[in-house]
Amino acid sequence: MSKSFEKYHKRRLRSSYISVVISIALVLFLLGLLGLLVINTKKVSNHFKEQAAITLFIKNDVKKEGIDKLLVSIDKEPFTKNTRFISKDEAAEIYKKENGEDFMNFLGYNPLQNAIDINVKADFVTPEQMAKIEKIYTNNQFISEVSYDKPLIDLLTKNVRRISFFILIFSALSTLIVVVLINSSLRLSVYSKRFTIKTMQMVGATKSFIRKPFIWRSIKLGIIGAFFALLGLSGIIYYIHKNYPEFNFINDKLQILSLFGGIFLIGIIITWLSTFFATQRFLNLKTDELYY
Amino acid sequence: MLQLKDASIFQREILILSDVNLDIKKGEFNYLIGKTGSGKSSLMKTLYGDLPLQKGLGSIVGFDLIKLKENEIPFLRRKIGIVFQDFKLLNDRNVFDNLLFVLKATGWKVKAEIEAKINDVLEKVDMKSKGFQMPYKLSGGEQQRIAIARALLNNPEMILADEPTGNLDPKTSIEIMNVLEDINKTGITILMATHDYPLILKFPHKTVKCEGGKVFEVV
Repeated sequence: MSKSFEKYHKRRLRSSYISVVISIALVLFLLGLLGLLVINTKKVSNHFKEQAAITLFIKNDVKKEGIDKLLVSIDKEPFTKNTRFISKDEAAEIYKKENGEDFMNFLGYNPLQNAIDINVKADFVTPEQMAKIEKIYTNNQFISEVSYDKPLIDLLTKNVRRISFFILIFSALSTLIVVVLINSSLRLSVYSKRFTIKTMQMVGATKSFIRKPFIWRSIKLGIIGAFFALLGLSGIIYYIHKNYPEFNFINDKLQILSLFGGIFLIGIIITWLSTFFATQRFLNLKTDELYY
Repeated sequence: MLQLKDASIFQREILILSDVNLDIKKGEFNYLIGKTGSGKSSLMKTLYGDLPLQKGLGSIVGFDLIKLKENEIPFLRRKIGIVFQDFKLLNDRNVFDNLLFVLKATGWKVKAEIEAKINDVLEKVDMKSKGFQMPYKLSGGEQQRIAIARALLNNPEMILADEPTGNLDPKTSIEIMNVLEDINKTGITILMATHDYPLILKFPHKTVKCEGGKVFEVV
């Protein structure tokens, strides 16, 4: 009878610890995902921004040496990520592939121009900076026309700003939810021991002496929860790296390690603070107040 | 040892007892009697610092109850042993660890001294063989003996026993009374709240009564 009671008691205790660990692990995992998103937002937005190119159409009378000089000077500019020369023949070939018709057959000549595509660094992909770059080359003696997708740049800039703002709000909200969820599951766990806490006070134990084992136990649960959260996060990072290597998710190891360290520390700090305040609450109550 | 002068006992804002005058000297055994709800427990709680003394004068084992600060309460409770009707043992650990907790909480560090002290108090209540039992495996009488042993750990000057026989059958109550009598004979002052009148007749001592919001001595 007493053996089965003991087993039941141990099982109940274990299941309450497991539920605390699960809730800590889940909320820290979500926070980690969010951290990953925040860290990589710039990387992802830069990736898309740097796809946008400015095309410089070169006058037909410009010789190869002139084009080479122009390429060298563009490559030296601080806004240049990379450049690509597309000859008029190459352009005709591309047009033919994309549209399935050879205009050379019915025109008898190639009306296209030699061009240089400039992929601009992400920091310069704003309507203002792009306009400045456009202005630099509009007046160039070798260039007949400068072209880029203005509506796309406007849309990209606006959307990146909007998404960054929402991610910030979402991060703040999620952090709040994480704190509230971990706090309430630990409070419940301390609440179930409120009479034990009061008894400990009755035999002359100080508040700090009573608090210590509760805090230590919660920190241990926090560490276990953080471990599972980081395990899940590692899986997600591995998956993204395998399927989308262009985002370079694990190239910046220091950033990933900082995120992992942060999640681990948050797990410890939140469990420590929550248990501190939860035990403090019951330590400050009088015996009769424990019943309501 | 214990003095109350024109003291008023409050439970929150509600006045429970007024003009309480009580003087218990070292080595005395006193009963505190009265009907349920007469204020016995509130008076006891005031004496061990669970309720503040808001009006009048009061001192117990050298602590001024009016000036008693929150951080002094644990030290007051180390000088008085408290025994409850519902034993209040820690059910998540065995008897030995229950007693070990009190000693560690009150600053005992040397393992040999701790073990000797625990064996000593368990012997005093005739429970030496029960050290490794879980509290819920013990009978009510045995649990109360352990609670008394716990109260004795820090060599208290006084024991406050709040209806210690309230949950026990008459035979076990007498056994517990014998234990308390033996403790009193060693010079420890005892104030015991009870409404077990046959027990008072069997073990007669000075008796004070709570009735109609007042406390007075009865014969």
